[in-house]
Amino acid sequence: MTINLRTAVVENREQRLGTIIGWDGKATELAEHSGYSASDCRSSCGSGKNGKLCELQGPFTQGAGCAEQIVEYQASHVRDAVLIYHSPVGCSAGQAGTNVSYRACTVRRGQIPTDAIGISTNLGERDMVYGGVEKLREAIHMAWERHRPNAVFIATSCATGIIGDDVESVTRDCEEEFGIPIVPVFCEGFKSKHWSSGFDAIQHAILRQIVRRNPPRKQEDLINVFVLSGTDIYTPMLANLGLRVNLVVNVATVENLAQLSEAAASTSFCYSLASYFGAALEQEFGVPEIKSPPPYGFAGTDAWLRAIAKVTNREEQAERFIASEHARVLPKLRQRLTGVKGYVAMGEGFAHGVIAALRELGVTLDGSLMYHHDPVYDNPDKQRDTLGHLIDTYGDIEHLSVANGQPYQLFNLLKRVNPDFIVIRHGGLSPLASRLGVAALPLEGDSNLPVGYQGLIDLGEEILSVLAQRKFHEDLAAHTTLPYKKSWLEQRDPFALAREAI
Amino acid sequence: MGVTPLQARSKQPQEQPDHSGPIEQARYACALGAMQSAAAIRRVIPITHCGPGCATKQYRSLTFTNGHQGGAYAAPSTNASQREVIFGGADRLAELIESTLGVLDADLFVVVTGCIPDLVGDDVGSVVRDFQKRDVPIVYAETGGFRGNNFNGHEVVTQAIIDQFVGEASRVREPRLVNLWSLLPYQNTFWRGDLTEIKRLLEGIGLRVNTLFGPSSSGIAEWESIPQAQFNLVLSPWLGLATARHLEQRYGQPFLHVPAIPIGSKQTGEFLRQVGAFAELPAAGVEAFIAAEEETYYDYIQGFADFYAQSRQALPSRFAVVGDAAYVLAITKFLVRQLGLIPARQIITDDPPAEYREAIRAEFRAIDHDVSADVSFTEDGYLVQELLRETDFGNKRPLLLATGWERGTANQLKGFLVEIGSPATSEVVLSRANVGYRGALTLIERIYSTVLLG
Repeated sequence: MTINLRTAVVENREQRLGTIIGWDGKATELAEHSGYSASDCRSSCGSGKNGKLCELQGPFTQGAGCAEQIVEYQASHVRDAVLIYHSPVGCSAGQAGTNVSYRACTVRRGQIPTDAIGISTNLGERDMVYGGVEKLREAIHMAWERHRPNAVFIATSCATGIIGDDVESVTRDCEEEFGIPIVPVFCEGFKSKHWSSGFDAIQHAILRQIVRRNPPRKQEDLINVFVLSGTDIYTPMLANLGLRVNLVVNVATVENLAQLSEAAASTSFCYSLASYFGAALEQEFGVPEIKSPPPYGFAGTDAWLRAIAKVTNREEQAERFIASEHARVLPKLRQRLTGVKGYVAMGEGFAHGVIAALRELGVTLDGSLMYHHDPVYDNPDKQRDTLGHLIDTYGDIEHLSVANGQPYQLFNLLKRVNPDFIVIRHGGLSPLASRLGVAALPLEGDSNLPVGYQGLIDLGEEILSVLAQRKFHEDLAAHTTLPYKKSWLEQRDPFALAREAI
Repeated sequence: MGVTPLQARSKQPQEQPDHSGPIEQARYACALGAMQSAAAIRRVIPITHCGPGCATKQYRSLTFTNGHQGGAYAAPSTNASQREVIFGGADRLAELIESTLGVLDADLFVVVTGCIPDLVGDDVGSVVRDFQKRDVPIVYAETGGFRGNNFNGHEVVTQAIIDQFVGEASRVREPRLVNLWSLLPYQNTFWRGDLTEIKRLLEGIGLRVNTLFGPSSSGIAEWESIPQAQFNLVLSPWLGLATARHLEQRYGQPFLHVPAIPIGSKQTGEFLRQVGAFAELPAAGVEAFIAAEEETYYDYIQGFADFYAQSRQALPSRFAVVGDAAYVLAITKFLVRQLGLIPARQIITDDPPAEYREAIRAEFRAIDHDVSADVSFTEDGYLVQELLRETDFGNKRPLLLATGWERGTANQLKGFLVEIGSPATSEVVLSRANVGYRGALTLIERIYSTVLLG
């Protein structure tokens, strides 16, 4: 878990945190086998009471995500920066989608929408033989001439990693020439089995080349919040404590990134996303990371606000705000969702939060799919053990599965728990859920919807409207032919192929 | 009296088809995107041997931010990791194919490769041949992203299926059976509806059609009958020509090349007569179909005229089209010849191979007997926006038939934007067509509803 900002390439998650992408069992077992509750167990696999975390790996896999997609989604969303995809043209195929999400986020944050700017070096066969660095130089010049950005990010690709392009030699030259940070982000897809390594790659690069070292001033009322492209719910919430918010990375400016070192503390709504940033800012820049469960439901949000208040000496304001929010929100939550059964499928840190919120809403939840599992986070403080918090506060989860968003497993996963609705993130799975007749609530657009006290109300409303949409899903399911073999659809164990392989 | 629009000879983008420079605002996928050409065939599933994000990126860009067409994602992938880079991925691919046979049900599997196996030199052919020997319906195509875009990948995948799967099937010619090679599935936002309309037209004059891709095709059975067709019809400015030549060589099958996909009655009538003559169909049957279609078509156009003739002043008169060669040519012809609009700027972004460009230019020079248009080739969105901003649209608000990337420029120019190509981010497209008789009516509806919205 060492953080080393001197090297250009960040260690991937499986090396730093022991991240796995295949597991199936009870939440309590997973917690017991992970780093927060058992030490030195991550590197080897076996059975036994003291917990060895065993990864399930099967022969059949469907297209997953890569680290570079995450880097694209973050770097091209920095408002005054340009992203260069140093790659063949396919790596930037998602650019239009990233742009749609960027434009929507600028609108959510009250800004005039513009386009996210990305340039592909468009490497071809010839470049694979002779190297692509000259095209990279051309693209950086193009970025400067066309857009006068305040920073340029370079996302590397599998192809440039294999042919061994010396990206840094070009970025160093150009940085000197243009006087702005030209930031290589090493995120070759093949180098990590899980896309969340992309968060670490972009954060590492920002910490190395953009965050101000030894800042001349500190901003004692400023809190860094690591977000995706959701609404800014944090500014109004933390204003009650007299705090200002520095939202990064999506739709931030380069200056927002530079001043990360000046803030009083850092926090997030998703510790999978924020693990590296928070720990590195604490270790290398002296900005403390908030040590509490994430802000979902009453329990999490209370604890999160109190932890922030403690670090910033605002305990009285915090207690007043907590009391007033309880008084405002509690009466609105009648037990309308009791007896409804939910399922959560998303990245791990986010899933922990959403499950907490659902259980406070009275939803029955005995299964969840998490797209990966980090046995520990970079900052190994027990207060940040989100899985432990979840179990201690709300009880066990009978079927907790870890799998990298594999469509073929979704039938068997859902059949096992038979939910009324599924809260889900990331493309591909929610249409399939709906073809299976399960109402799907995708949290794609506004990732901040379930966060905080208001999140309970908003999430509840969304669930009610999605349950009404069931008519569509049920009709669809009755008219769907799936391309899977009958024998697989009848398989009760979603991990049967992996278990056979052991 | 005809009008030849005057155009400021503004800066043309540098054309270096052999050296493609960096690209801002990508408008297509890489060769691996041709996984969707396989997926476009009924009950065919691509198996992708590539890095972990490659397949999902191509899939989402083609099926989602492109008219939100959808496509039921199921593609297996090796999600190649460090191990496959260092030690090679052939074993992993074999393992994936073997397990796929137990999970997925398909008439044909098409293995497509990404940059990783193509760079480290996996012998994919040998892996796949082992399965072919076991009579598993499976072929492979090398589609590493550095080899080109999804247009190139499409021809590679198509020819792989022909050579490795169709093979030496019966060559007994069936008169009146035609293989259709036209729009690129998924890349063209409206491919499903368009291919269905083209099939309807060709059947209308008495042909039987192997559409090969999409819901109006019966799938693999059609592919197996490719060698029996009387001829191949390449209905596009350039895509499909390589395949048609390949078939000519392989099966001695002739082909007819019609560069402009017909939109509206003038074009469609000419197209059907041309095909009818090539296929040696009795003229009477062709004419009868055209007459019946025109009767319906003009019935609707009569209604449209009430609006079109009365609202002249508020309506745009100069237009630009930005997109893939097939649609830029087809739509320009329709707007000029049928609606009498003035072509102000035509930009082709799908990077047609150098050898086809002069022929494409010639098509635009002769867009109608009295109108000529220029055409620019560039794949770079920044240059597209620059060209649009430099264009003389006269004193009226311009009409832009372009993509989601032109939203900002359209706002700046106070233009009316109709998204007709990838990425179409503000469109939801199910069965809509823009071609033939029926598609033309839909396109008119779309254009003028957009105009009236303001």
